[in-house]
Amino acid sequence: MENLGLGLLLMGVGMVTVFCILLIVIFGSRLIIALVNKMAPAAASSAAPDIKPVLDAAVACLTGGKGRITKITEL
Amino acid sequence: MQGFSDILQRLYEMTAIGSLGETPAYLLMYFIAFLLLYLGIVKKYEPLLLVPIAFGVLIANFPGGDMGVVQADPQGFVTLPDGSREVIWDMPLHKIAHELGIMNYLYYALIKTGLLPPVIFMGVGALTDFGPMLRNLKLAIFGAAAQFGIFAVLIASLLLGFTPQEAGSLGIIGGADGPTAIFTTIKLAPHLLGPIAIAAYSYMALVPVIIPLVVRLLCTKKELCINMKEQDRLYPEKLEIKNMRAVKIIFPIAVTTIVALFVPTAVPLIGMLMFGNLVKEIGSDTGRLFQVASGGLMNAATIFLGLCVGATMTASAFLNLQTLGIVVGGFLAFALSIASGILMVKVWNLFARKKINPLVGATGLSAVPMASRVCNGISIKYDPKNHVLNYCMASNISGVIGSAVAAGVLISFLG
Repeated sequence: MENLGLGLLLMGVGMVTVFCILLIVIFGSRLIIALVNKMAPAAASSAAPDIKPVLDAAVACLTGGKGRITKITEL
Repeated sequence: MQGFSDILQRLYEMTAIGSLGETPAYLLMYFIAFLLLYLGIVKKYEPLLLVPIAFGVLIANFPGGDMGVVQADPQGFVTLPDGSREVIWDMPLHKIAHELGIMNYLYYALIKTGLLPPVIFMGVGALTDFGPMLRNLKLAIFGAAAQFGIFAVLIASLLLGFTPQEAGSLGIIGGADGPTAIFTTIKLAPHLLGPIAIAAYSYMALVPVIIPLVVRLLCTKKELCINMKEQDRLYPEKLEIKNMRAVKIIFPIAVTTIVALFVPTAVPLIGMLMFGNLVKEIGSDTGRLFQVASGGLMNAATIFLGLCVGATMTASAFLNLQTLGIVVGGFLAFALSIASGILMVKVWNLFARKKINPLVGATGLSAVPMASRVCNGISIKYDPKNHVLNYCMASNISGVIGSAVAAGVLISFLG
């Protein structure tokens, strides 16, 4: 019975800790996103125009000229 | 003539054949090694890990080969070949190599010190993209629910007579994360390392079988047809990410700091995971570090970890009822983790307007990215247009953080 008590304690502490840490990670990440959006939003798609010809050439080479890029989305 | 028969006798004693006749258990261990090799090579079940583990099992079970790991008793004593006993922690590494063989040298230098699992975690971090999780932050909470199996099996193991440390090591199989399971077992119950590592990696390899089984038992067709993209269109996310690269660089630094503050015992795992991810996200400036972390270093660590874990499975250490308990308990932990993730989604759907496909909950356990791929496969079977991979990856990746935190809690309380 003593061990059962320890197991239940560990389950309670463990699950609460995991939930709390992940909640902090979730809300912390939202805060990071909001701050970055406010302070450094411009860098999002600056590289795309420069690399488009390179990507076009690579796709043309791989597909033998049959494929083409229709849209580039920043991840 | 007498001399010739002496030579023959010496030759016979030189081979392992005589010992095999005296201890047939070795034959069973060879069968297990061949079976694991078959699963790794032919069935392609986690071959990067199963092949070294299986080969470690094979070479550890040849009498006279000195490749089996000799486990120290709780007081730290090991029995040397001449019958004398010494405390392993007082033996210098070169003496361990000389007296017990090179596999014990590797085991006590690399595994018992807890070095390799964090090194592998660094490689995992370097290969992980947190983008899907950052785009679907709400779904990350299901990575917490799926840790329930760890603690449920811990309680069941305690009731079955395992010590708290053994029960904690057994339960952590439910986290579905090999390095985490190994790291926790090294800290809590190193004598169970072999069977626990085998169970953890075998069940991870069996994710394509176990997840569909649990999903079939718990989910209806209507639930599995919930289209996440359609839900996104109906209830769009308010927070748009304008600079993903910056967010991805800040994220690992922030997570490490948060986890280190609250659960310092999880830092060897989370810290290395996030460091590996950071050098990836920084890009070309740390490209060489990324290449080492995700390539050579990780591969070398995987080889030594696999061989050493396999070498702990000597006939005397493996063939007992405790191993059977670990195999059954590990399966339960795995299945319960999947089930608890699904059940939390169901509860969530009772109250939320934006419905979530329960497959997102099923991937709350780690096993990245196989669990997500399997769930995506289930989803498109019901609706070929319903791709849930990115959504599943959100809870799948958060499950890695969740299981490492759960391991940290277990080590804090039981270590």
